[in-house]
Amino acid sequence: MSKTDMSADPTQILALIAAELAAIVADKGETLPPLTAGSVFLGGGLPVDSLDLATLLVALERKLGCDPFRRGFRQFITAGELAALYVAELAERG
Amino acid sequence: MSAAAPAPAPVWLRPGFHVVGDGAAGVAAIVAALTAGERENRLAILPRHGEPALGAPGSGFAVALETSGTTGPAKAVRHDLARLCGRLRGGAPDDRWLLTYHPCAFAGLQVILTAAQAGATLIAAAPGADVARLAALATAERATHISGTPSFWRGFLMSCPPPYPPLQAATLGGEAADQALLDHLRVAFPAARLRHIYASTEAGALFAVADGREGFPAVWLTQGVEDVELRLAMDGELLVRSPRAMLAAADSGGQRRRRAADDDGWLFTGDLLEIHGDRALFRGRKDGRVNVGGVKVSPEEAESLILAVEGVADALVTAQPNPMTGNLLTATIVPRPNADAERLRQAVREALTALPPAARPRILTFADAIALTPSGKKPRTAP
Repeated sequence: MSKTDMSADPTQILALIAAELAAIVADKGETLPPLTAGSVFLGGGLPVDSLDLATLLVALERKLGCDPFRRGFRQFITAGELAALYVAELAERG
Repeated sequence: MSAAAPAPAPVWLRPGFHVVGDGAAGVAAIVAALTAGERENRLAILPRHGEPALGAPGSGFAVALETSGTTGPAKAVRHDLARLCGRLRGGAPDDRWLLTYHPCAFAGLQVILTAAQAGATLIAAAPGADVARLAALATAERATHISGTPSFWRGFLMSCPPPYPPLQAATLGGEAADQALLDHLRVAFPAARLRHIYASTEAGALFAVADGREGFPAVWLTQGVEDVELRLAMDGELLVRSPRAMLAAADSGGQRRRRAADDDGWLFTGDLLEIHGDRALFRGRKDGRVNVGGVKVSPEEAESLILAVEGVADALVTAQPNPMTGNLLTATIVPRPNADAERLRQAVREALTALPPAARPRILTFADAIALTPSGKKPRTAP
């Protein structure tokens, strides 16, 4: 599977997060409401649990070819915060 | 129950113990079963699903809990209540404990008994509450003590923006605690005592690490820790020996799995260690099972289920390290010629519903072949 060529653009990353998470949620028979930068993953009313997030992170690493968590867990609460972690990681990679 | 003079309260239940939250009724039923079982010398049966019950008259007082596992029917294990209570740390009546585990799991019962013995408050959510709900409850009910798995704590930090409840104690157990998480918790809860507990299925809690670092001091392998002796086998497996562990193993009817213990009382934990400098670090299980969000799962078991699906020529399930849940299972599937990929994907997903959610591979990738190791085997560790 070829990696998506992503420039470190927060809007594109957020759109990728939304698309991947929507697929994960659909796989369990539910529907993901539209995701915004302020959407809270856990506790924000989304049909998303830790396993879904774990799956999302694996999917994102495969698509983007980078892992902001390679040195351990880093906290994020909203979709925008998660996108920012990937933006920073992609920018660091150059 | 007798309507005569009120029976004396059990030793392990101090006045002042009370339960708040929408899980209070469930905990009350458990406490009632333990109290009745002790008084009537009958087994107190605490199942994962369904109501607590008492064994037949004359069954002898003990606590029957189900082992958690993903293979086969749940097995009941008998525990001596007095011994369970003797191993708990003391507490104060002002303590407010959040229950994060299932109340009928070993760890859950320990939290309930800790609060009961101290005459403290237990905060219990309704069964099935997710980590976000638990975090909200902890804040609303001003929890001071929380014990949970590392996956719970990651979820807690994610669901609960600052300001955090001012915890006095944060305990981790059930999965290896990694350094990044410990550092996060230290920052989030500066006033809290931070401990991660190592336990084995047979022996329960063995030792606690309170220095804020992952793993444990390598010197414990030569000096031991408290009343526990530790040893490293040639292949890196951790062996432990302690009087408490032996009693606990005997309590559970001497349940012995293959090579669970040798004749000198050394228990084979099944956990692998690596020594790095002054530290012993946990590096997976001998049997290849991995921890996904606190649940021990078997990649091979999922693989067998997938291989049994019509249209699958071959499959490989591996565990991938994951910052949210420790590990996550993923599957590579080689379809038979002429198999419809989408229908096959659906069929595999359906087959996997026989396993608990954590044990199911979450990402299914189709491939033309599975790359084997140089010795012709399926690679069991993720690249």
